[in-house]
Amino acid sequence: MVDFARVQKELQECSRDVERSGIKVSPKGDGSLARLIGTIPGPTGTPYEGGTFQIDIALPDAYPFEPPKMKFTTKVWHPNISSQSGAICLDILKDQWSPALTLKTALLSVQALLSAPQPDDPQDAVVAQQYLKDYQTFVGTARYWTETFAKKSSLGIEEKVQKLVEMGFPEGQARTTLEAVGGDENLALEKLCSG
Amino acid sequence: MEDCLGSDDEYYYSDQDSLDGIENEDSDPQWIPPKGTTTKVITKESLLSAQKEDLRRVMDLLFLREHHARTLLIHYRWDVEKLFAVLVEKGKPCLFSEAGVTLVEHEDLDPPLPNSPVMCAICIEDVPSVDTTKMDCGHCFCNSCWTEHFVVKINEGQSKRIRCMAHKCNAICDESVVRNLVSKRHPHLAEKFDRFLLESYIEDNKRVKWCPSTPHCGNAIRVEDDEFCEIECTCGLQFCFSCLSQAHSPCSCLMWELWAKKCRDESETVNWITVHTKPCPKCHKPVEKNGGCNLVSCICGQAFCWLCGGATGRDHTWSSIAGHSCGRYKEDKEQNAERAKRDLYRYMHYHNRYKAHTDSFKLESNLKESIQKKVAVSEEKDSRLRDFSWVNNGLSRLFRSRRVLSYSYPFAFYMFGEELFKDEMTKEEREIKQHLFEDQQQQLEENVEKLSKFLEAPFDDYKENEVMDIRMQVINLSAITDTLCQKMYDCIESDLLGSLQLGIHNIAPYKSKGIEKASELTVCWVNKANNADKDPRLHCGTSGGSTEPEQPSGSGSSDESGCSSRKRARKGALGGGFFDLNLPAEVIDKSDS
Repeated sequence: MVDFARVQKELQECSRDVERSGIKVSPKGDGSLARLIGTIPGPTGTPYEGGTFQIDIALPDAYPFEPPKMKFTTKVWHPNISSQSGAICLDILKDQWSPALTLKTALLSVQALLSAPQPDDPQDAVVAQQYLKDYQTFVGTARYWTETFAKKSSLGIEEKVQKLVEMGFPEGQARTTLEAVGGDENLALEKLCSG
Repeated sequence: MEDCLGSDDEYYYSDQDSLDGIENEDSDPQWIPPKGTTTKVITKESLLSAQKEDLRRVMDLLFLREHHARTLLIHYRWDVEKLFAVLVEKGKPCLFSEAGVTLVEHEDLDPPLPNSPVMCAICIEDVPSVDTTKMDCGHCFCNSCWTEHFVVKINEGQSKRIRCMAHKCNAICDESVVRNLVSKRHPHLAEKFDRFLLESYIEDNKRVKWCPSTPHCGNAIRVEDDEFCEIECTCGLQFCFSCLSQAHSPCSCLMWELWAKKCRDESETVNWITVHTKPCPKCHKPVEKNGGCNLVSCICGQAFCWLCGGATGRDHTWSSIAGHSCGRYKEDKEQNAERAKRDLYRYMHYHNRYKAHTDSFKLESNLKESIQKKVAVSEEKDSRLRDFSWVNNGLSRLFRSRRVLSYSYPFAFYMFGEELFKDEMTKEEREIKQHLFEDQQQQLEENVEKLSKFLEAPFDDYKENEVMDIRMQVINLSAITDTLCQKMYDCIESDLLGSLQLGIHNIAPYKSKGIEKASELTVCWVNKANNADKDPRLHCGTSGGSTEPEQPSGSGSSDESGCSSRKRARKGALGGGFFDLNLPAEVIDKSDS
């Protein structure tokens, strides 16, 4: 059974620090704490700057003694992240996981991975090849993908409302909450869940 | 060889002492290893004491507790020499940190009161400090988190290296802590953990391997230094220690693997089909040409060109097919077909001989029974010849030489073929070597057949002087075939395989006394005197010291049934004094601290 007491504490700890780290973790919407959504800002000075990346988090039963399963739901062009499935190749999500790590520290590591790709240990061979052989094109593509898929403006307000409605919130409430948080669907989601 | 047979007759006959020297080669049924300890059978019961020696060496040299020594040895795959080499090369701190051993005691200046709460960084709860455990590395977490961590790791099959929960801490958890905490909630898992730890000695150790018997006899075999050897387990199975398949010397493991596959998958049948048939371009059935011109028609009605296999019309002459021309490829195709045919015949040649000797071996195994009868009859007779051990010795020699002979054919197939060593020798070199080898093979073959003939003779009906004659022949031929087998192995090792560039073909050395029988390891504890009296429960009922068990066994060297019964007898004799894997951790710990 997932240690929900710990997950609850992790979420509180994370939201307390959200201003500084920019990293958010919130329940996916079905009320269970086993499925979460993480959000990380693209690191500055990288082609991912300005983007907001969503990461789907599934907690295995033995969490925190087994690593959380994470994958990008936002499409991202990166040697260690599958451009198809969003799967992440990161040691601490596999054999280097330690129960002393948290969702926040794991997401920080994912963010660090965005800053420092490791093309020698690729998840996506095509991207890794491009990174090694034609770095300029790689940067261009990564930036284009960030613009296209990871910018908030890429979703219109109606689409965001629609998304929240699909998650099971009433349309009116979704709309007002979205307006209240300035169009940030994650903040809105968090607010809807907590309230 | 012929000559020495005749001329030495007199010599052997007249000199009883030297005769005994030769014929007694098999009278001792137990293979006595030259140095006292070589190949050992490790049973479930002796597994722990088998590791003791290695553990003890490491503990003594580095002044360690047993669980630390075990952690080190698991990390270095039970290679004590390697471990010591790392120690000399990199020093103690490096040796320990690489293996995850922490010896530094983290003395708390201000130890918390037993009930004062401590925050566990894993569950983020305050727990009384009595319910927490601090590992050697200094990291402290609550017991229930530790337990969960151990359970997950054991279930993942990682018992042998459970690391501390702290991020980037490489320390391996103290096995007694693991055992203690896990057994409180999951006794079965604690047993599993112990078993994994113990079996690491087999799983991770290149000198130890499970006996490949099916159903599994439960034994493992430990060799001393050479992994290229052939072993007989106490369960009776003979196998190659290196590749775990049947004993196959003088074939190398690779040769044997290829040969077994070749014989198994009927690849030569496929070869025949390629040589003698062509697939119909329409229905793809293989079509055999039974004469006539190169226009062939399949039973499905499709006509096609035999030379290129392409579909054609039916108009043709003896030399050409209307509107069809493929003559250009003719030569090439025929060459390929010729080649395949030649390879096939070559394989058949070697396979026939290999099979003939294997079959003879099987038939001669029946000989054993009839020979025993003949011996019994002869012994009843009132003659001055009383000792018939030469019959059994000759028979064992026959079996061994027959084995060598049959495996020498697959060896030759690969050694002088093109599959493995095409670029290793020039054609001339290959021919010279092949002749050299075949001469030896032929000599061995002749003598083995002669030996077989004499052993099959109905000597129980013979007169005494005739029996004496046969006896001389058998003794002589036994000695000769033994020498010839040895010579053949020498030739293979030094002249044939030894001269190759790639050193991947190694063979088990020739054993004149047959495949070495592994002896059971004595279940005893070679503990130091100072802690020998600490826990008598750990000392088994057998005598101390590392002497070999002298196993009384009347069975001959090739008597397989004798071995298993001997094993059962031994188990019974030892009683229940074995180390109990489920012993509480404290008991185990005490004994080696």
